Amino acid sequence: MRIEAKDPVVEFHDLTVSYHKKPVLWNIDMTLPKGALIGIIGPNGAGKSTLIKAAMGLLPLGSGFVRMFDQPLDKVRDRVSYVPQRESVDWDFPASVMDVVLMGRYAKLGLLSRPRKADKEMALNCLRKVGMEAYVNRQISQLSGGQQQRVFLARALAQEADLYFMDEPFAGVDAATEAAILGIMQEMTAQGKTVIVVHHDLQSAAEFFDWIVLLNMRLVASGPIDKVFNNDLLQETYGGKLTVLAEVGELVKKRQIPSREKY
Amino acid sequence: MDAFYIITVSTLIAISCGILGCFLILRKMAMVGDAISHAVLPGIVLAYFITGTRDSIWMIVGAGMLGIFTTFLIEFFHKKARLQTDAAIGVTFTWLFALGIILISVFAGQVDLDQDCVLYGEIAYVPIDLWITESGQNYGPRALHVSYIVLILIVLFVRVGFKQLYLTTFDPAFAATVGISVSLWNYLLMGAVSMTTVASFDSVGAILVVALLVAPPATAYLLTDKFKYMLIITCIIAVIISFFGYYLAVYLDGSIAGAIVTVAGILFMLAFLFSPSNGIVFKRYLQKKEAAKLSQEPAQ
Repeated sequence: MRIEAKDPVVEFHDLTVSYHKKPVLWNIDMTLPKGALIGIIGPNGAGKSTLIKAAMGLLPLGSGFVRMFDQPLDKVRDRVSYVPQRESVDWDFPASVMDVVLMGRYAKLGLLSRPRKADKEMALNCLRKVGMEAYVNRQISQLSGGQQQRVFLARALAQEADLYFMDEPFAGVDAATEAAILGIMQEMTAQGKTVIVVHHDLQSAAEFFDWIVLLNMRLVASGPIDKVFNNDLLQETYGGKLTVLAEVGELVKKRQIPSREKY
Repeated sequence: MDAFYIITVSTLIAISCGILGCFLILRKMAMVGDAISHAVLPGIVLAYFITGTRDSIWMIVGAGMLGIFTTFLIEFFHKKARLQTDAAIGVTFTWLFALGIILISVFAGQVDLDQDCVLYGEIAYVPIDLWITESGQNYGPRALHVSYIVLILIVLFVRVGFKQLYLTTFDPAFAATVGISVSLWNYLLMGAVSMTTVASFDSVGAILVVALLVAPPATAYLLTDKFKYMLIITCIIAVIISFFGYYLAVYLDGSIAGAIVTVAGILFMLAFLFSPSNGIVFKRYLQKKEAAKLSQEPAQ
């Protein structure tokens, strides 16, 4: 089941990606709406991270293309931000929280120029938004997992983009951080920015997102949560995994009443 | 004056190697530095054959090209043949190094390059190898000029490309998404490593240059968790090991290069034991203090 967005920001067209000749994503064809908080959901190995890495040009495409704001990525790089998985970098790296957030400003600076005072103030502002202003000069090796994720989010905010791709931002963070991150994402979407999140937890997915993409190597469904987050489609996505299916039944029951007709 | 020349050349080279080494160890590529320092050998020999001179410029160009070729081969074997990185490094550099050895040994009679000199270096000859122009003007040791020019180039390179090098080292995926070419900066860094390696041949030789690329930055890494301080401490260590290494060698009447690297090793051990943030002695002390505090508190 595929519902096209009325006001698309990202368009995947016939996208196929393979790792060492083994296809990981087949024929992904969809459009995603502006100003939505979008969750990409699917089992392990479904190609969720691969999908956004391919969108960001980090992996070679087997076929098809991805367009953002109706342009190829190279033309609109400054409007698009990518937040990698927290584990993808070495947190023992000699850098302070400020150093990392300033990296979000690098693209806006020229080849030779160094971050100016305005950039530092901007970075500080972003740290304030994620509740980390007390840690500006802290070394990143001393941060907890949740704090690391907040720093990554602050770096993305410093990019002042309109479209955000985030790889598992809720993985391994505490409840307070989860709420803080969700709050910031909702604020961003309220400002008309689009946030696309790779997410693995079905329980919270039902509460977080406006729009859901169900993925298992191929696209199972893409659409507003009320139309897509149902028993049949989730079963199709997760295959015959019994424990998951029982949970899914519960979730769908819980979600029956409220219906937000936003899209 | 000889002592001054030797210590200065050694310091300048140790600083150049150390600055690049800071990036290498944070990229977990210290062994790529090792590989390049060996694999440039055929480049040097070929440059000598093609140009027929021992002009440092051509040697640096030859070595630089071989260094970049080495980096390319390692990436190629790793990505296309899906060989583990360490295996790719091992195969590539030993093969190129062997090729260089054969080239030198086959043409040893006609060439003013010998294996001992290239492999182990001999910094004691620095004051003898003078740069004298045709009109008889004496500009002092040749190695001194080479080493400060290399240092200036390295400092310029790191100053201009600091943001790019720092970001591609910390988070290459993010760097690529903001439009910084990760592989371009990787090749530039490796080109710089090759260039510096050749400049080090006179002083420490192809084998011990690895020590200058890795030991001072690794020591600095233990002493600080700020990158700028890491660079500064590396430079200070470069001065210390050159100075004490020289006088250790004089005292023992032994190899200067060997003594310099020995001092670097001793400094590393000292940092490992006594660093305020990471040293094991200090950590023990803190643990004991904590344990004593806990045992004094009344049991609940």
